[in-house]
Amino acid sequence: MKLVVLSESPEDEAAVRILVDGVLGIQTEHVAPPFRATGWSQFPGVLPAVLRKLHYQTDADALAVIVDSDASATHRLAHVPHDGANQKCRLCQLRLVADQVQNGLTKIPGRAPLKTAFGLAVPALEAWLLCGIDPRAIEATLIQRPDARTRALRFQLKQDVYGTDRPSSDVRMVCAIEGAKRLVQIIDEFERCFPDGFGSFARDIRSW
Amino acid sequence: MIEAVQFRNLKALRDTTLPLGRFTLIVGPNGSGKSTALWALLAAGNMGLLDFNKIATVGLGVHNNVEVVLHWGGTFAGSITYATWGPTGEHVKQTDFDEEVPGDVVQVLTDKLDNILSAIRIFSFDAPSIAAPTPLEPNMTLGSNGRNLAGVLHQLRDAEPERFNALNEELARWLPEFEQILFETHSGGHQGFLLRTSEGHHKIRASELSQGTLIALAMLTLAYIPDPPPIVCLEEPDRGIHPRLLREVQDAMYRLSYPENYGEKRDPVQVIATTHSPYFLDLFKDHPEEVVIADKLGLDVRFERLSDRPDIDEILGDTQLGDAWYSGVLGGVPSHP
Repeated sequence: MKLVVLSESPEDEAAVRILVDGVLGIQTEHVAPPFRATGWSQFPGVLPAVLRKLHYQTDADALAVIVDSDASATHRLAHVPHDGANQKCRLCQLRLVADQVQNGLTKIPGRAPLKTAFGLAVPALEAWLLCGIDPRAIEATLIQRPDARTRALRFQLKQDVYGTDRPSSDVRMVCAIEGAKRLVQIIDEFERCFPDGFGSFARDIRSW
Repeated sequence: MIEAVQFRNLKALRDTTLPLGRFTLIVGPNGSGKSTALWALLAAGNMGLLDFNKIATVGLGVHNNVEVVLHWGGTFAGSITYATWGPTGEHVKQTDFDEEVPGDVVQVLTDKLDNILSAIRIFSFDAPSIAAPTPLEPNMTLGSNGRNLAGVLHQLRDAEPERFNALNEELARWLPEFEQILFETHSGGHQGFLLRTSEGHHKIRASELSQGTLIALAMLTLAYIPDPPPIVCLEEPDRGIHPRLLREVQDAMYRLSYPENYGEKRDPVQVIATTHSPYFLDLFKDHPEEVVIADKLGLDVRFERLSDRPDIDEILGDTQLGDAWYSGVLGGVPSHP
């Protein structure tokens, strides 16, 4: 399976690839170049172009997208299907954009529709990397924290994962790869701890 | 560390204060005094660099001086250095210390602060200067435009081979098409450098490398030299560099400012950088205390640290920092067009 990842950074991409492979139980192939958005606000704008590019000009099989929730609304299982989509939920927004674009694509004979998976790291990927290490790294617990939507929590998570809130690219990459590999080993626990943000992503992948 | 610099009657900086931290990124329109502020810092250590007639605010009265006032922090907290340029060409520098500082310590502290000020460096990298072969001399330092890079790298290879190897490894991460810095001797004994490609092991002369590659290498070298200046000013370090490589540029600057995060044992370098790149600014969204907006208000300029705005999180919301700046909602944009 040829997998494309749309992410904010190389380390996010590396982690997502490992997680997708872990859920699928196979090793996916990369399609170059990797696609990037510089931050959440770019994702809805970039996603249509990425989907059209992949559909018309590549033989990619699947696209995986993970975004951080930061201070936005967190995803809920009740948000799907479309009738329950929450306009403030980043994951729902991306799904709506993807559906609209994919429904408008011209079918290509022999080309299967691109498979997609969307995940929401609450509040940031660092929280996932702490799953199984820090008992507080649970989606529901993080959402309930008084500082849930503040920069302070994201700083704390970085401190806990990297030992600093200004980690180098190298450190971020090592932590992302090692962390994602560890999460694959405890994938059931990980999905229980992050049922909405990661659970949705995993269910998307299993439906491929 | 310098915590703030007050400017009076210095070109566009008529009466304003620039807040500084260990790392500071200044954004603002052309002509908003960003470069002037950096040059004033440099001149505080070498006052002869500035000529009153060239730096005084236009229309300044004949009895007014140009003043740059440095407020020190950290181990020098409470110390204030006054640098003054007068209309008759005289210039004076004086440092006041906290009253509790014993008299015999004052001279020691004065000397230390003078040493720091005289070691301030501004870098505004320029590709041809970076690529130029250079004579080999002892204790070579990187020139403000990047000249002497070949010599500095050569010196690093001989004196600090582990650092040189680490720099090579980092270079290969930044620019995977290259794997090794090599050297060649030109006529007259001048030293030049080349980059060896990862595929095919081709040797590319510095003069044949792209502008972005040369500036990236100069930035990286600055971050890896063992004894960087105590205060480094960087004019648009992102110039010519692909947006996806800007995180690495940020890494290089943080290596200077936060050496403890990079396994470095040396003292932190105070870094003050300028940029016009929204992409580069985006990288500082989690550290608004490191961003200063330079705003032109008529003929005046005002510097404001982003984190000093109580409503910054509400204004930004989901918007990227660079997008918000470009839009104008944070200020720091040209009034026209």
